[in-house]
Amino acid sequence: MEAEKKKLVCCKCQKELEMMKTDFTYLGHSFFTELPRCPECGQVYITEELVRSRISEVEMQLEDK
Amino acid sequence: MIHNEVIHDTWSVCPVCLRRIPAQRIRKGDEVFLRKKCIDHGSFETIIWRGFSEINEWVNGSDIHFSDEPQCPDNCGLCTDHLQKTCCVLLNITDRCNLSCSFCLADQDNNSIDPSFEEICESLQNLIVKGKTLVQLSGGEPTVREDLPEIIRAAKTKGAKYVQLNSNGIRLGEDKDYARKLAEAGLSFVFMQFDGNSDAINESLRGKALLKIKQQAIDNCAAFNIGVTLVPTIVRNVNLGNIGQILEFAISQSPKVRGVHFQPVSYFGRTPGTPTDEKRITLDELVFEIEKQTNGLIRYNNLLPSCCDHPLCGFHGDFVVDGKSLIPLSKKEINEGAGCCDTTAAEKNRQFVARRWQRPAGETENSTSCCGDIHNMEYFLTRVATHGFTVTAMAFQDAGNIDFARLKHCSFHVYDKGRYVPFCAYYLTSWRG
Repeated sequence: MEAEKKKLVCCKCQKELEMMKTDFTYLGHSFFTELPRCPECGQVYITEELVRSRISEVEMQLEDK
Repeated sequence: MIHNEVIHDTWSVCPVCLRRIPAQRIRKGDEVFLRKKCIDHGSFETIIWRGFSEINEWVNGSDIHFSDEPQCPDNCGLCTDHLQKTCCVLLNITDRCNLSCSFCLADQDNNSIDPSFEEICESLQNLIVKGKTLVQLSGGEPTVREDLPEIIRAAKTKGAKYVQLNSNGIRLGEDKDYARKLAEAGLSFVFMQFDGNSDAINESLRGKALLKIKQQAIDNCAAFNIGVTLVPTIVRNVNLGNIGQILEFAISQSPKVRGVHFQPVSYFGRTPGTPTDEKRITLDELVFEIEKQTNGLIRYNNLLPSCCDHPLCGFHGDFVVDGKSLIPLSKKEINEGAGCCDTTAAEKNRQFVARRWQRPAGETENSTSCCGDIHNMEYFLTRVATHGFTVTAMAFQDAGNIDFARLKHCSFHVYDKGRYVPFCAYYLTSWRG
């Protein structure tokens, strides 16, 4: 929990990341979700946990059998 | 004069004596036929493609080329030359039925003696691979057995991952407590015969009005969170023109109904006479009718040729129901080539169909309300789990159109006395009767 509360800072702009609506596409489908993002350059931080859970679930649902 | 072009050399059977004979797929104009000649019974030609789309594009190089005469179907069970593993395995638990349909692949026999519970348990013990197997309990009509809940429980106890019931739905509609017992025993989902949304169709194909009881069966299954996939047998001049209404009804019943699985009529078991080309419904015609009768809600591009089986054996489309709209997840231009056509396809297919046909645990009316943006990742993931919807088809082969290039790819097997037999080989019957 402590780690989750830590501030995330953009390595390039040194700005604190803010939760912002972020669009992504996969196999021709577009989605959005809230992700930590640099307000300056727009770089997005995606945690490994998110990749392994929700994003891989989206992949599984969209990939052909 | 129409030019005849051989597009594939294959093998089939004489529809009269069932002798194995060479066959060819012949293109005549837009149409494609399976042509074969028996030295005793003459030449036969059966339409297999009407030309609503290009057959070679649909098959997409999936055909095998025979260098030697195959042993099909004599050695089915399975032989080392078979090209696909088992995706779903069917176990026949009775030949009895509470209907007497004009078309019946199993040709029900109400005087037959059912296999005992112990015999069924022994079969289940032998066929189940723990944590993997999808077993279909079939018949006849399996719900005529009072011990069906115990059979389902035995299948789950022995490690079946999914237990599917193939049913006409009558008992499920009449006896809600029976549906409850099946659910409690661990039934995963039901494939329910549903030929159309008018009783004229039911009376023509099944001999009686059934619409009301089918709706009750859907509702009774929903009460215990059992997903129902509707299975229409499509027959020309009976319900070919009802495809759009069947889909419209199924979508309106989401999430209780998980999809529609079309079966163009095949001529094995009990059928009203020998088939003519005019009566047959080819896979490309079915796709065309789906697109036409849904006014483009479901398009040719959303229905992908089977990868688990031979492309001429079926197709699958994956959707999400959101409000009254149907959002396609499968698209030819994106998914083509993404699927795996080797033997792992059976495993992938099993996981895919079960994901869609089984309702999520603990789902209730309240958890399935529609109030979100499908592009919102969290809403999409919830919605696809509760309201995933499949449009699939399986074109079974009969003595007229059986093609061993297709049979060798079959992943749908009947288990019988230790053997796994491709479905169409198991039920193959001669036109002689």
